[in-house]
Amino acid sequence: MSAIITTPITRRLMLKRAAQLGALGAAAPLAMNLAAMGEAAAAATSGEEDYKALVCIFLLGGNDHANTLVPYDVANYGRYLNIRGAISYRHDDLTPTLLAPRAPQALTDHLQYAFAPQLPRFKVLFDGGKMAVQLNVGPLVTPVTRAQYDGNNRALYPLPPKLFSHNDQTSVWQADGSEGATIGWGGRFGDLALSGNGHALLTCISAAGNAVFVSGENALQYQISPSGAIPVNPIRRPLYASDAIGEALHQLITQPRPHHHFENELSIVARRSIEMEGVVNGALRGVTMNTSFDLVPGANELADQMKIVARLIGARRALGSRRQIFFVSLGGFDTHSALALKHAELLTKVDEAVAAFYMATVELGVADKVTAFTASDFGRTLVNNGDGSDHGWGSHHFVIGGAVRGGRFYGTAPHISIDSDDQVGQGRLLPSTATDQYAATLAHWFGVPDSALRTILPNIGNFNGANLGFLT
Amino acid sequence: MSEADPARAPAPAPAAGAVSAISEAAAARFLLRAQFSALDEDIRAVRDQGYRAWLDSQFASPRGQSGVDWLDSQGHNAVTAEGRYFWPQGGDFMAWNQLLAQPDQMRQRMAFALSQYFVISLNAIDGYWPPYIMAGWWGVLLDGAFGNFRTLLERVTLNAGMGMYLNTKGNLKENPATGRLPDENYAREVMQLFTIGLHRLEPDGTVARGADGRPIETYGQADVTNLARVFTGYDHDMSRVSHRNVAWQNFPVVSREFCLDPMRFDPDKHCNLAVSFLGCDIPAGTPGPDALRIALDHLFAHPNVGPFFGRQMIQRLVTSNPSPAYVRRVAAAFDDNGAGVRGDLKSVWRAVLTDAEALAPTDPADKLSGKLREPVVRFVSWARSVGIHSESGAFEMYDLSRSDTGLGQSPLRSPSVFNFYRPGYTPPHTAIAAAGRQAPEFQIHNETSAAGYINLLQWAIRWGVGDVKPTYAALLPIAHDLPAVVAWLNLHLAAGQLSPETCRTIETALASKGLTADAPDPHKLDLLASACLLVMSTPEYLVQK
Repeated sequence: MSAIITTPITRRLMLKRAAQLGALGAAAPLAMNLAAMGEAAAAATSGEEDYKALVCIFLLGGNDHANTLVPYDVANYGRYLNIRGAISYRHDDLTPTLLAPRAPQALTDHLQYAFAPQLPRFKVLFDGGKMAVQLNVGPLVTPVTRAQYDGNNRALYPLPPKLFSHNDQTSVWQADGSEGATIGWGGRFGDLALSGNGHALLTCISAAGNAVFVSGENALQYQISPSGAIPVNPIRRPLYASDAIGEALHQLITQPRPHHHFENELSIVARRSIEMEGVVNGALRGVTMNTSFDLVPGANELADQMKIVARLIGARRALGSRRQIFFVSLGGFDTHSALALKHAELLTKVDEAVAAFYMATVELGVADKVTAFTASDFGRTLVNNGDGSDHGWGSHHFVIGGAVRGGRFYGTAPHISIDSDDQVGQGRLLPSTATDQYAATLAHWFGVPDSALRTILPNIGNFNGANLGFLT
Repeated sequence: MSEADPARAPAPAPAAGAVSAISEAAAARFLLRAQFSALDEDIRAVRDQGYRAWLDSQFASPRGQSGVDWLDSQGHNAVTAEGRYFWPQGGDFMAWNQLLAQPDQMRQRMAFALSQYFVISLNAIDGYWPPYIMAGWWGVLLDGAFGNFRTLLERVTLNAGMGMYLNTKGNLKENPATGRLPDENYAREVMQLFTIGLHRLEPDGTVARGADGRPIETYGQADVTNLARVFTGYDHDMSRVSHRNVAWQNFPVVSREFCLDPMRFDPDKHCNLAVSFLGCDIPAGTPGPDALRIALDHLFAHPNVGPFFGRQMIQRLVTSNPSPAYVRRVAAAFDDNGAGVRGDLKSVWRAVLTDAEALAPTDPADKLSGKLREPVVRFVSWARSVGIHSESGAFEMYDLSRSDTGLGQSPLRSPSVFNFYRPGYTPPHTAIAAAGRQAPEFQIHNETSAAGYINLLQWAIRWGVGDVKPTYAALLPIAHDLPAVVAWLNLHLAAGQLSPETCRTIETALASKGLTADAPDPHKLDLLASACLLVMSTPEYLVQK
């Protein structure tokens, strides 16, 4: 069941909006829709339905934050250009995506930010109050200054393990531990929601392969493909085989195998796969969702993943889902070279996917019940290494949804500098906000009790403030 | 199944290297690790020669057709208006052809294991001639598979594809005016992934701990920043390349030699600053090639390399959870091949494949033995066992990485430099995790890939993939003899590891087809494909013990 917005929009109103939005190019339809949604919001409220979902959008490889959220004011743009050189955006190209915070905000060194030119829809979401920007967030055990980082007192000022290493920082972001961690904070949130869901297995769902983020103490990660759950075909349609062979196959792949743990795990996965396929695909068949995710069909793997997540959210009532955690990802962000070209292509995919997803949640009547947020291995160096950038630490991230106190920046903007104290060399940002605080803010909105937070995010007590305020 | 064959002369304890009584199943088990398939003649050779002599014969066996020659023979070097020189898929065709059809099977298998340690991926290779970049890379791994690790490490470092993948290509010295510094990608990954890893290791591969009980990190950011200077000044070697002007584009088409030649050093672009990393000091102004030699020598000499590399090769070929003693023996074989040579890979393969722990009969009480067979290995093993034929010779098998519609894995298509799965991966919420053990291949096994694999199998084992079709030549004559068919598959695909109950279940299901000896071939093929589907889906096959 979905609440499709049907408020009529007069032609004259549309033309007026089109004129206002013409400068936005590809994002104009989104802006028009957003405006229409605002007017229709009263009619389309989803009532008191008890549903909430978090969607982690992981940008694999370490997103280059400095070319995602770009200094725009003359002084800071000049510093950026001077440090980044050939991988800088041209100032003119940033003008259409200059951000307009909903209220004036004084940032470090009077910074004004623009999004990369490939993020026009991000601008619409931000300006429209549906996106918040969390500045310079990254893994921390405890707050550290540059001097403490440079010093040797690790007993008093411990650092996260394996800084600057991809696989480890990916794991630290998702699970507060370096590679090998088996429980992520998304999964821990899910643990608390298992009993409230019609199908406990559909609490933590990845559309992007196995990810520790959605693995809890008890919550399992369920895999979904962009086309839904995958049936084991020979069981249902044996083709050249036969029904007897299909039955034998079913038996062989699902029977318990207590004599060997690896074999038994294969049987467990096969049983889950087969049992949930009928349930999930059955529920998905009942979902009507008209939002277009396919700007170029098949060309945006992140959009494919976010579309199936939106469809699963659309099936929430059929599945009895009340609290869900989703994981999607896009690879390729390790832009050591050809950054200008590769990063721009990736951001275009993110822009299209995130905006389509937000619009889908509006269409489904759950915009204020679904919060998506970005995460990544790490930020990158501000310094250009030739035609790319190297592994960093802190980064800027984005929170999207109807429950977001959007249109503003959270946290402390870093200096555009390679010798200030908020970076640890080459412009690698020393995080001023901890990943744990970012997670705790999402947890608070999701309904995780404060008493559970200290177990899930053991270092949260080291920081001043467990709610950054970017969610209502 | 008994390990010893009573029909053969009794032998003392099966000391590795001695020609001993080796059962058919034991020979097949060994072969399915040392290569992809275990055909009758291979089984006979192992039983006649013994493990070590058989390995020696493989080390000395002739090479197959190289990937480059194969691409040329298939016309992939053609300069055509459609711009085939930019197409990647020939790289997939080449990789599949090498794994499926080239005769130097053990070398191919070891190269495939190495390709998951030294990782580059066709996913990230663009520009001119991606298939030749991958063929050049595959050639490095094949050449190095039976050579020395130090030689391989240098060829990996200077390979044109690795240069693209981890950015040594075009890596420039610092520019104080702009603040630009050398790219750190290769410097970091050559330490983290290709040589020493993140933590100090004991000789048995366990993590060494400091006085505080914590793991000891092998390097820090300063080591990376310093070592990065060594890898500056390199770019594709265009000296043998010819440029051809063509009507359909306004820039010339370059020929493919740059894909195959090691990268070329340009002293003007090399960082001449002093380098200090891991206790090694390379003075300022040291010529680039010398600095490279010193740096790679230093990494190669690090005591971590043997256990770090050795343990991962055991995981690729034999078991996910080798004992520390097994790792120690393999690391010792890396450190010294018995003739005082460090890094002899033949010595490593011998140690991995003929270790007492590898050859000991599977302990039925051990619930954690073996490893999950990789999807690519399952497919190649099946193809080489039942026989395949490509009418056109084109091997048009594309990227099979998708888990919903493909195999969930495809050769030379890793999603990142961290391979398809990590050596330390433990599937959460499993008895494997509860036991504190690892199962890397489970990182790509889930509800989607479990079904996707069976669906791909259902089609591929009957009708093939692309132009690559199964022949089932050895099985067609016995297709009506169900116990014989199941026994054949059990031995050749699973080294006899299917239980009698499973064999019975399969035979009973196959019997429902009522196939007779005079049935037409398509019916026999239906039955044989059904049999393979059942065998290759069962966990008793999927876990290679």
